[in-house]
Amino acid sequence: MAKIIIDNQEVECQEGITVLQAASKAGWDVPHYCFHPGLSIAASCRLCLMEQKMPHPQTREMGWSPKLMPACQTPVRDGLEVRFASDKVKQNRANCLEFYLLDHPLDCPVCDQAGECHLQDYSQRFGNAESRMVDQKHVTPKKDIGPKTLLYTDRCVLCTRCVRFTQEISGTNELCLTNRGSKNEIDVFPGRPLDNPLQGNVVDLCPVGCLLDKSFLFKRRVWELKGTPSTCPGCAMGCSIRVDQADEHVYRLKPRYNPKVNDWWMCDEGRFGFEYVHDDKRIAAPVVRRGKDKTTPEWQDLPGILKTRFETHVREHEGASVAVVLSPFMACEEAWLLIRFIRDIAPSAVLVMGPVPVEGEDQQFPAGATGDAVKFTILKEKCPNKRGIEMLLEAAGGETLAFDAFVEKATAGEFSAGWVVGGYPKAWVEKPVGKAAAKFELLVAQDMFENEFTAAADIVLPACAWVERDGSFANHAGLIQPFARSIEPPAGAMRDGQYLFETAGFEGIYSGERVRELMAATIPAFNEVCEAPPVPAHTH
Amino acid sequence: MAWKALDRLTPVAEGEAPLLSEALREKIRSFFPRYETKRAALLPALHIVQNTLGHVSYQAMEEIAEVLDIHPSDVLDTLSFYTHFWTHPKGEKVITVCRSLSCEVMGGKEVLDEIKKQLGIGLHETTPDGKYSLVTEECLAGCDHSACLLINEKLHKCVKPEDVAKLLADENNDKIDSERSDLFDPPPESAVTKTDASDGTSDANEAQEGN
Repeated sequence: MAKIIIDNQEVECQEGITVLQAASKAGWDVPHYCFHPGLSIAASCRLCLMEQKMPHPQTREMGWSPKLMPACQTPVRDGLEVRFASDKVKQNRANCLEFYLLDHPLDCPVCDQAGECHLQDYSQRFGNAESRMVDQKHVTPKKDIGPKTLLYTDRCVLCTRCVRFTQEISGTNELCLTNRGSKNEIDVFPGRPLDNPLQGNVVDLCPVGCLLDKSFLFKRRVWELKGTPSTCPGCAMGCSIRVDQADEHVYRLKPRYNPKVNDWWMCDEGRFGFEYVHDDKRIAAPVVRRGKDKTTPEWQDLPGILKTRFETHVREHEGASVAVVLSPFMACEEAWLLIRFIRDIAPSAVLVMGPVPVEGEDQQFPAGATGDAVKFTILKEKCPNKRGIEMLLEAAGGETLAFDAFVEKATAGEFSAGWVVGGYPKAWVEKPVGKAAAKFELLVAQDMFENEFTAAADIVLPACAWVERDGSFANHAGLIQPFARSIEPPAGAMRDGQYLFETAGFEGIYSGERVRELMAATIPAFNEVCEAPPVPAHTH
Repeated sequence: MAWKALDRLTPVAEGEAPLLSEALREKIRSFFPRYETKRAALLPALHIVQNTLGHVSYQAMEEIAEVLDIHPSDVLDTLSFYTHFWTHPKGEKVITVCRSLSCEVMGGKEVLDEIKKQLGIGLHETTPDGKYSLVTEECLAGCDHSACLLINEKLHKCVKPEDVAKLLADENNDKIDSERSDLFDPPPESAVTKTDASDGTSDANEAQEGN
């Protein structure tokens, strides 16, 4: 631990960090654009400049240096004394911000970034209220630089975070800084657009409204969005994310800092892969079939119906064999409730791991990096909770089966009753399973979209997308990461956790945390969840 | 899209055939032993290409990137930093008129206007016959002889508007007495080994002497 003095206050900080990081951690609001803890240091924005005590070259007497020093580039060392609260520092910030705004179009009313823009925030906190600019502004073009991003050159502050990201994290180098001095612009080589699997991050990194996400462009003002902490279900990595919604509609996903999983980044597949949540074709209401009759039961009757049907089935069929397919898209809590329900009624019920979607190979960034040089990984296993379901199957014991073996046995008519959970964002029943599905005397299909199981099922239950549920996923490394409910399920549907909670014999409102406490009694791993650490208030 | 955005998705249309001949590529590669990384040979490469082809087109940038094993955006980044690299064809002779203080006071502006009038072109333009291109520069370091201008590498001193017609008519207006610099020719084998063996200080001295 090093002790430094900031504005006459002693601050204890970790060795090896910069003064900017130490000050931010201790609660100082130091403006900065170019500094980002995940990237190399550019020290080009000149907003974090501070005064530093230095020995006089002749007298060796300690005094404030006449020249301001960048806080982002000065490492902390014991006894270092700096100040941000002086007039000189404040004047520098105001002057810098005035320069930043000289050519800025001030088009906040039509800018997507307005409301979370650090030009706005800093100008208000540290800048001048009025512009002294009397000349014509220098107008620079908007650029269509990639399939997912737009670049508004006129709003750029040239922090070069985006350029450094493509150089250091994605390793794809598409972005560059063209020209020089007052003609500096961020650009791509014509015909070589910004198109890599991590490109969405440059939009998050941009402290102003220069780089914008085409899919979010003009969709919603950011102050209308409400963010909920969540975990990405795109692959087995389970990046920490924030779900931004308004009026029960998800508009965008943003990464949250989590050093154990994703640092500051997330991939495009996860970021833009939530459209299925608002698909019209989703199953929204439960259906009970008796012969050709189709009825939609009231939700409060459903736990009773499910319980009675399974109990009657087991009672009436000597040696009934029950199978439950658990999807790797289920939360650990939901899977645990379902296992508990089914094993209560049929202790020998077979538990099946649903199909695990795999696409291509694991992708590491920058390409070709190994060991510590790997900055980000996209896993080939495209589901969030395979590890969690495995943990539960292990804890539950008894007979377990792989999905293919289950289909084989079901086709042979070895199961009389079944409960199949899907909830996959894409069509997941790849091989025809119609024959297998038809063999069940009692089949419950819990899914988001119609497929052969839901077509043959006696009871169809709507499954909810992860943004509508709460619970936890265990990622590939076994970290149990909670996710919170962000939006309501489609009209008519109920959260999976709630009806499974009631079906399993519990009363009241389901909450992931409450169920996790129950689970932890038998599975100690659930005592500990991995939550992303809080980030200092004034960093970005 | 409803508003105007520069299209950076489509490549700049250029010919199919490679612009950099194998000999030219080899010349660029001969600079590799001088530096720790291949990308460090970017500036010599740009000079070589501009000296040979007259300008560095987008296609040439891509080909340079290929030789140096870097992304074309890195080439564009470096090239556009320096104003002396041309990305579009230039005329046979480039007239560079000084626009700095001394020349401005001594009638440089009038000289420039006269050239524009006689050639019928503006700044950064080339005559239809491809003979002359016209640009301005901040200072040509000829303040004691203002107003001055360059035609290719030949400095013309104390130019007056009435001299322009004669100057343009002169076929040899770009001929210089001294030989062209061979700075960007590949070094002889012996020189490379010598540099490698000597220490950093003498390198710097040699470089200064060379200048």
